[in-house]
Amino acid sequence: MLKYLVRRLLAAIPVLLGLSVVLFAFVHLLPGDPVAALLGQHATPELTAQIREQLGLNKPLYEQYVIYLGQLLSGDLGKSVINNRSVVSELALRFPGTIELTGAALVFAIGLGIPLGRLAARHAQGWTDGVVTVISLLGISIPIFILGYTLQFFLSVQLKWLPTSGRLDPRTHLDAVTNFMLVDSLLAGRLDVFVDAVKHLILPAIALGSIPLAIITRITRAAVLDVANEDYVRTARAKGLSERRVDDRHVMRNAWLPVVTVIGLQVGGLLAGAVITETVFSWNGVGRYVVEAIQDHDYLVVQSTILVFALIFLAVNLLVDVGYAFLNPRIRFS
Amino acid sequence: MATATAPLGRPLTVTSSARVSRGLWHDALRRLLRNRPALVGLAVILVFVAAAILAPLIAPGDPLAGKLVDRIKPPGGLHPMGTDLQGRDVLTRILYGARISLLVGIVSVGLGVTMGGLIGAVAGAFGGKVDTVLMRVVDVLLAIPGILLAIGVVVWLDRGLPQIMFAVALTNAPIFARLLRGSLLALRESDYVVAARSIGASTPRILFRHMLPNALTSVIVAATLALATAIIDVAGLGFLGLGPPDPRTAEWGTMLTDATSFYRQAPWIIFFTGAAISLTAIGFNLVGDGLREALDPRLRH
Amino acid sequence: MLRFKPAALIASTAILFAACQGAASPAPSATSGASSAPSASGASSAPSESAAPSTAVKEGGDLIVGLPGDMVEADPSLVSDSNSSYIQLNVIEGLLGVKPGTLADVIPVLAADLPEKSADGLTYTFKLRPNVKFHDGTDFNADAVVYNYDRQKNAPKPLQDAYNYYFGAVFGWGADSNLKSVEKIDDMTVKFTLVHPQSNFLIAQAPLPQFGIQSPAALKAGDADNPDPGKSPYAQGQGGTGKSMVGTGPFMFKEWTPNDHVTIVKNPNYWDTANVAHLDSVTFKPYADQAAELNALQAGDIDLAQTIAPNDIATLKTDTKFQVIDRGESCNIGNLEMNLKSKPLDNQHIRTAIAYALNKQSYIDAFYAGLAEPADNFMPPATQYYKPLGLPTYDPDKAKSEIQASGLSGDALTLTFYYPSDVARPYMPDPKGLAQAIANDLEAVGFKVNFKTEGWRTGYLADEALGKFPMFLLGWTCDWPGPDNFLVTAFFHFQGDKPNPEFAYGPPELKAAFDKGATAPDDATAQQAWGDAQDILKRDLPFVPLVHSKPPAAASADVMGFKGAGNLNELLNSVWLNR
Repeated sequence: MLKYLVRRLLAAIPVLLGLSVVLFAFVHLLPGDPVAALLGQHATPELTAQIREQLGLNKPLYEQYVIYLGQLLSGDLGKSVINNRSVVSELALRFPGTIELTGAALVFAIGLGIPLGRLAARHAQGWTDGVVTVISLLGISIPIFILGYTLQFFLSVQLKWLPTSGRLDPRTHLDAVTNFMLVDSLLAGRLDVFVDAVKHLILPAIALGSIPLAIITRITRAAVLDVANEDYVRTARAKGLSERRVDDRHVMRNAWLPVVTVIGLQVGGLLAGAVITETVFSWNGVGRYVVEAIQDHDYLVVQSTILVFALIFLAVNLLVDVGYAFLNPRIRFS
Repeated sequence: MATATAPLGRPLTVTSSARVSRGLWHDALRRLLRNRPALVGLAVILVFVAAAILAPLIAPGDPLAGKLVDRIKPPGGLHPMGTDLQGRDVLTRILYGARISLLVGIVSVGLGVTMGGLIGAVAGAFGGKVDTVLMRVVDVLLAIPGILLAIGVVVWLDRGLPQIMFAVALTNAPIFARLLRGSLLALRESDYVVAARSIGASTPRILFRHMLPNALTSVIVAATLALATAIIDVAGLGFLGLGPPDPRTAEWGTMLTDATSFYRQAPWIIFFTGAAISLTAIGFNLVGDGLREALDPRLRH
Repeated sequence: MLRFKPAALIASTAILFAACQGAASPAPSATSGASSAPSASGASSAPSESAAPSTAVKEGGDLIVGLPGDMVEADPSLVSDSNSSYIQLNVIEGLLGVKPGTLADVIPVLAADLPEKSADGLTYTFKLRPNVKFHDGTDFNADAVVYNYDRQKNAPKPLQDAYNYYFGAVFGWGADSNLKSVEKIDDMTVKFTLVHPQSNFLIAQAPLPQFGIQSPAALKAGDADNPDPGKSPYAQGQGGTGKSMVGTGPFMFKEWTPNDHVTIVKNPNYWDTANVAHLDSVTFKPYADQAAELNALQAGDIDLAQTIAPNDIATLKTDTKFQVIDRGESCNIGNLEMNLKSKPLDNQHIRTAIAYALNKQSYIDAFYAGLAEPADNFMPPATQYYKPLGLPTYDPDKAKSEIQASGLSGDALTLTFYYPSDVARPYMPDPKGLAQAIANDLEAVGFKVNFKTEGWRTGYLADEALGKFPMFLLGWTCDWPGPDNFLVTAFFHFQGDKPNPEFAYGPPELKAAFDKGATAPDDATAQQAWGDAQDILKRDLPFVPLVHSKPPAAASADVMGFKGAGNLNELLNSVWLNR
């Protein structure tokens, strides 16, 4: 087991190295450069050329890559050309927001998706199945931003139940320790702030979680149906075990596998969805940060942030793989 | 059984036995046609396909040019689905939009399945070093959140529907590669493949005749879901300002994006356009479910 | 290094020699005297003011303001964006300012009065306002003024132009600067000496927080002159009140959580005792998305939206709990711009045909909610020396006959038309919608439109500046309302004497008219020269001006005393909450 973990961690190194090359090439081959974003409407050809020189953008690409890699290895993720802030401090500020948001969305999607999928499978082809299918497909065919506005309009503007945007009421002052609002509020002993943070989290989590919800529901349904036709399940039923017991004991235990795989893959999708969710809900997270950085050609920010995304993605999927071993005794780690 | 390097893409179907017959596809089609929800789905899709083909004949207005004086008219009278901010008939644009949006969905998913499927099939069929290298490439692609990859591609290759379709395909491809390869790896060790190999069947033959059809079910479910998300992905790119260059383009994703800036005043545009996307998504998924069941060997008797 | 060319200086900046006399001098009665700046709040006749207070002013409360984006750096000398400026104006004051609610009324702020100018136009002597303290408790005096100007003039090279923009654009850097020296005469007197006369000296500095005076002690303690602003606690807004953004204004900096909010609090010891802020604090929150901002306003999450989409005005006007605030005179222009090197736009008949083809009023009704006026000049009416030009107005038949006169037909009538895909600007709130309407009008008279697009920051501005776009949507919001800021900046940029590649237009006679206006000894000559320049532009019609917009603010109905201005020069100390 330990040996397996070490091997997987070692295998991540070439992936990250490869990714750093791909990202570097990718952002530097995009037409345009950060100087345009920096100067805006003040740009002139002369000024642009002069600032390119100043920023070292005229050096050969391989040289720039070597400089970048050297920085990376010394733990320096670089800084933004646009506002000069270091990527590390920006990420420390913003990543917790994105993790809170995607975590809440995942809780919503899993917490609702698996029961719905099982429900649909149990009544496969019936009207319950139909309703679940339609609801989950509605979730998948409404863009996040429209769902977001709609939720804001009904639950915030009309009913005034929940706030529209941000992570906390701006009048609240909370000393940042971890930048996880849920954690910082408890550290400060402020239960009211904790509740406020949860309230701010609900709408964006639903908006972001709708697509994973649909996918998890569909996959759970398919997986349960698949397993339900296996010989051993039929046998269990034939033995006279109760439906409920068959479900819990035999079906779900095996149906977990594809569901867990898909959940692992959804993490990438959630990070992507966070890009738009954070815009709609003025959420101080990393998604908006990286989109602006791509648009501004803010090279180091893009490269370093996506590398961190990749790390998270790889870590989650490693966890998923390890999870298999516990869920399925038939998988052995060699 | 899956080995340590291969546990990720566990198949949806762990088949213990499978009859491989010449009539697999024929059987499947027959069973599909007996599946009522699938037929409903097929009907929905056909309606939209018909709308796409017949748009110039049945659409009441001009999909591209409008009169500003007619803008934001609620549904009724000459405009059963109202008009948009440019004064164009929404029904007309939805009909014409079916052309581009169905094309975007089908092409981008088809391309994604092809690219991903090729990688997954090669990795899953050969295993070993080939598998390791290809899967690391897939890991790199998967590790970049889809929309960021798409933004990069569109910024890089310039605006345009073909570029957008390619971008969406590229974001889907690694997922299909994962799914297919996982299923194939499991099947490699299954009884009938071992049997086929022992009687001397060639690798391509085993791959295409025996393994692929059985491994495809998980891909089909994922692909039908991806058809809907592809149209939504185009809307998302539009939201970030990366939609088709001609803003007049009648395409559902773009229409949704443009309608959001005045969704309070003209909610009907979002309603009708969203309904078109949702119905298409439901149609494709019902057919997908039917296909999956039709292809499932255990349900065949 | 941006060279500051003396010839260019005269051309581009000395213009305002005359301009400032028009803008500032005619209103001395309103501006002279220590107690009159800024004027007391509560006057209710200005159209740019929110609901006139009918009850007594209530003190206290926290105002939450939605802005289109976040602050970029906490030191105004490092930024040139409108969001940073909007916040910093309330905290940091300069020697001069603009009378609240106006575009161009220059008033003394930290100066005790408007400066004394020498006959040769080379020196300006300022008497400073006594008994003013910075937010960190240190004294405002001549040393502070000298320190602030010297630090900008000698800014570290990596910060010049790219970050510290306006100082370079107005004065130039180091040894090349037109600002020869800033000297302390005594504790309360400073003398500015110029290399060449510079007529925008007053009006260019007055509205820009980049020329504000910050506490030298705090600047030094916060390492504000670090060539890497990322390493400067001052620029990063660390440490709170008295550590960063330390000025003398009615509000003091409190905290900045990047991308989340900036909070400023009341300065109870404000020197202008008649205008101490009513509010306890103001918090600015960035909203990248206007639909979300409208929801936030209606849900009560914000009290004031600095800018709202014209599409949302109708929604808010039907709700008595909210007010839409007109900002008065426009200080911007939205254009259909053209590159005269590209075909068929090099043909004057074609440009004239385009001008006749466009129904500007229909765009204003559809995309500006009526809050704009059709442009009849290359600068807005509020600009000095503006005159109506009688440019072509909507007439499709004339458009068709101009096309005929051009002798072009078929594919030669294809126009490649760029619009920015991902941005809303005050002068074009919906570029995508506007572009479609323009295309329809053009195709109706026989043109064919080939659309192209780029992201605003991704490449639109850069490629447009390099002259890569044949026809494109763009505009300008004034830095200051002088003809040079619109005309010279457009065709020759701030510093150049070569025509800008984006238009590839700038005949010698236009340049001569600009130069003449710039060096005019008296108002009448300036009027004549600027009039000539406008006539040349009318004759050549290098592009088609579309509109001057008046983007409104929106607020909860209980936000009182807000004074809007078309250039977003808005001080919030007059605002109070009736709740």
